Order: sequence, then structure tokens, then C-alpha cells
Amino acid sequence: MIGTLIFVVFGLLMLAGVPIGVALMLGGAVGIGLGSLGWLAIPNNFYAGIAKYPLLALPMFVLVGAIFDRSGVAQRLVNFALAIVGRGPGMLPLVAIAVAMFLGGISGSGPANAAAVGGVMLVAMARAGYPPAYSASVIGAAAATDILIPPSIAFIVYSVMVPGASVPALFAAGMVPGVLAGLALIVPAVWLARRHGFGRDEAIGPRPPFWRALREATWGLFAPVLILGGMRAGWFTPTEAAVVAVVYGLFVGIVVYRTIRLREVVDILVEAAEVSGVIMIVVALASIFAYAVSTLGIVDPLTRLVTESGVGSAGALAAIVAVLLTIGMVLDGVSIFLIFVPLLLPLVKLYGWDPVWFGVLLTYMVAIGQFTPPMAVNLMVSARLAGVRIEQTVPWVLWFVFAMLVVLVALIAVPELALWLPRTLNY
Amino acid sequence: MGALAAITFANVIARYFTDQSFAWTEELSVSLMVILTMAAAGAAVARDRHIRIEFFFGHGPPARQRALALLSHTATVLAFLCLAGLATRLAWDDYRYEVTSPGIGVPQWWYTIWLPVLALAIAARAMQRLIGSLHRR
Repeated sequence: MIGTLIFVVFGLLMLAGVPIGVALMLGGAVGIGLGSLGWLAIPNNFYAGIAKYPLLALPMFVLVGAIFDRSGVAQRLVNFALAIVGRGPGMLPLVAIAVAMFLGGISGSGPANAAAVGGVMLVAMARAGYPPAYSASVIGAAAATDILIPPSIAFIVYSVMVPGASVPALFAAGMVPGVLAGLALIVPAVWLARRHGFGRDEAIGPRPPFWRALREATWGLFAPVLILGGMRAGWFTPTEAAVVAVVYGLFVGIVVYRTIRLREVVDILVEAAEVSGVIMIVVALASIFAYAVSTLGIVDPLTRLVTESGVGSAGALAAIVAVLLTIGMVLDGVSIFLIFVPLLLPLVKLYGWDPVWFGVLLTYMVAIGQFTPPMAVNLMVSARLAGVRIEQTVPWVLWFVFAMLVVLVALIAVPELALWLPRTLNY
Repeated sequence: MGALAAITFANVIARYFTDQSFAWTEELSVSLMVILTMAAAGAAVARDRHIRIEFFFGHGPPARQRALALLSHTATVLAFLCLAGLATRLAWDDYRYEVTSPGIGVPQWWYTIWLPVLALAIAARAMQRLIGSLHRR
């Protein structure tokens, strides 16, 4: 009874447009009050919810994203990629996707990636004759691979919530699905460009000389080696890797490429602080909600309901995928994790699903949600940069959603796609 | 507000490089992160940038939008006032019973005292927004 009330209060407030964190807290507070769990549980859980050492990696990777967004690395990577593949119809979108995937190995959040790639590619693509709505769709979708390719903010949040899924294991597990997703996006991108004759003017543009492009891109190319290699070699924890990346990015941006002026550093810090504050306050407030839900034992009846309905492991998984893909259209990734992971964990245990694989699966669905209108954080960024409305991108974006879904089916059918790498690396 | 955030961020980074391996830097970084989160959340309230579902909030007749904005700001004020009040009790308990922190053994209230202060600041920011949307007819 109390359980239903919690979800009704939370659901109504959330639909009404109350900030999600506030809706979660008030829902949790109703439960704590009615269940007489002791009011001090509210500040206690608020504090304990974010005062966790692994979570420190989250603001750090947000900062990394904000720095590399402005460091000029994206521009050099684009030049380098063009020097490799050359000019021709369909090549610019291919380069955009490849560079977004590569930047995914440095930053941990989709919107920062979309801003970095969009800022460089959209003008070039418009000049080469690609319609802005198409370009915005390509970049919004490509940036979604960012949260799958390590490092990733989504994996950090999941790891904090789920015992038995460590950040390094999740990072390793996201690698193969992330790359597959990127490759799957290239197919419709090039095919659409060819079919509609986009980018005919592209061949006119100059092809950057290979060695100079390589030399200029070296600093950017080295960043993922430092971050991922450093973690793999055991030099630093994910949090420390993020801090190292911050310093490296600032060094490259200020000293090497001279694209960031010292005054802008303050702007970057403030921006990163606010972006991570917005995420982390939801984490903190959601832990009040999670406490109320778990202490009152609301999840158990739900779990029993699912098991008694006799749908079985595959059926339950299909239902979860369908529900989360729908919700992913209107809700952002971190909120989805905070609301659904506590509800779904008993099912994960019940059916014996691997928690790491399940985390990759959830993140994959969040990634799709990041560029599925109407609430699509990546697409919002790229559409704003391209000067088009979200609605205009729909005819293009659906192709990319379809391509990502194909890989999703593969990931469900063959869990080894995610689990092979972490096992090989002994995580 | 922004300056505080920047200083905190710089602090965290500096601490990493000077005393990476000590337990007390972990505890300090973590508590700085809590303070940073709340300060930044306050700034985000002032600019109305928090995550919400905008389907009803941002569309539909102006009267409904206005009502929802009022509801949203009122709920925010209420939530953080409530948090401020309860966190005061938490900090008071920590002070009264001389609770020490698990990592370095300093009084726990050095950390928890920031909770009510910053929650109150967020509530004040939300109150500003509430008054603002009351005036904007």
C-alpha cells in the first residue's frame, strides 16, 4: 500500500515536470514518513549516497569531456582520419562516426562528445552538401557510442549501485559492443549518403597530407592509450586515470595546441562542476528513494509477480528491453539507472544473469535513448549546433536506431560479446 | 558560486598529486565532492537546468505551464527545506555525541555541518525562482 503510494507520488511529480531528483526524494520521504523508518534516514542516505570514493571518477570524467571538447583534439583527429580515407561521397559521415568513437575512448559522456564532434564536423559537412538534419543525426547517434566505449560515466554510476560489477570490468565489457555499435552506424550513414547523393561536392576539398596530419593528431591519439592503458597496467584507479586525463587535456589544450586560454579554464571548471552537480544531486536524492523502496520491501512482491507470471528468463528480458527502450525516449540515462537498477537487481540474481553483461545491456539501451527523439540529449546538442529542430531529424535518425537495435539483439543472443574481453583481461 | 566550484575542483586535483596514497585525502576529496555537488546543484537551480521530463512542463497552454512551474519550484523549496531541517539534526547529533570520522578521526560534524547550510542555500535559490514565476504573469 505504502509502496504504491511512493511510486504514485514520484510518478505524478515527475510527469508534472518537477526535477527528477526532487520527485525521487519526496517519493522516498512519503515512504519513510508512513513507514516510520526514522526521519534521519533522509540526510543520512543523502550523504552516504554520494560520499563514495569510486563516484569521484564521475565529476572528473565530466571535466575530461569538457576539456577535450575545447582542446582542438577533435579537429586534428578529423584531419588525420581524412588523410587516411580520402575524400568522396559518404566519407565525411564515416569520419564523424570514427572520430566520435575515438573520442569515446577519452571522454565519458555523450553530450560532450556530440559537442566536440559537432563543432568540428557540422560546418564541413554542410559545405560538402550534406543536409544539416542528416549531419545532426549522424553525430547524435555516433556520440551515443561514447558511454559504451570506456571510460564511461554510465558504467561508473552502475558500478556504484551494483556490488560485483567493478568499474574496470564494466569498462572492458563495453569495448566490443561499443565498437560494434559504431560500425553498425557507419552502414546506414554511408548508404543514406550514397542513395540521396549527399556530399557530391566533397571530392573538391583538399586531402590533408598524411604525415603532418599524423604528427598533429599524435597528442590526441595518445590520450586513450594513457587513460585505458594506464588503468590496464594498474598505474591508476579509474578516478586517478580521470585526473591524469584532466591534466593531460589541459596541457595539450593550453601548451601544445594553444586552443584553451587560461581565462577559459575557469569557464570549463564551472561548466563541468554544474553538469556533474546536476547528475550527482540526482544520485544523492535517489538514494533516499532507493532506501525507502528497499527497506519497505517493495521490490520482493514485484519480483514474485514476475516469477509467478511464468514468463521465464527470456520473456522477462524481452519485457525489460521493451520497457526501457520506451522509457529511454523520455528519460535520461543516469535517472534510468537510479530508478530501475534497484528494481531489476533481484531479477538479475533470480535468473542468474551476469551483472556486468546486464550493465552493458542497460547502458546500451540508454545509448539508444540518447539519440531517440523526443528526449535525446545527444541529438539536442548536435541539432542545436546544426540549427535544425529535433523533429526534422526523425526520418534520418530512425535508420540509426534500427542499426543500433540489430547490435542489441546480437548482444542479447551472444553475451560473450561483452564478457569475453573482461575475462581475457582477468577482471 | 562558480568560483567556489572552481576552487573545490582545483583542490581535489591538487590533493591527488601531492598526497595520492593517504586515506585522509580520500576522505577530504569525497567530502569536498559532496560540497561541490550541492553548490553546483544550487547554481543549477538558479538557472533552472535540472533534469526533468519536459513533455507537459514545456508544452501546452500557458496557464498549465505556469501552474506546473509553480508546482516544480514549490516542490524543490519544500524538499530542500526538509533536507536542511533534518540535516541540522544530523549535524547536531554528530556534534553532541562527538562522532568522529572513520578515515582520519576528525569530528564528523565538520563534514555534516555543510549539509544543512547548502541545502538551505539551494532552498533559497529555488525560492527566488518561485517568487520570480509568481511575478511573471
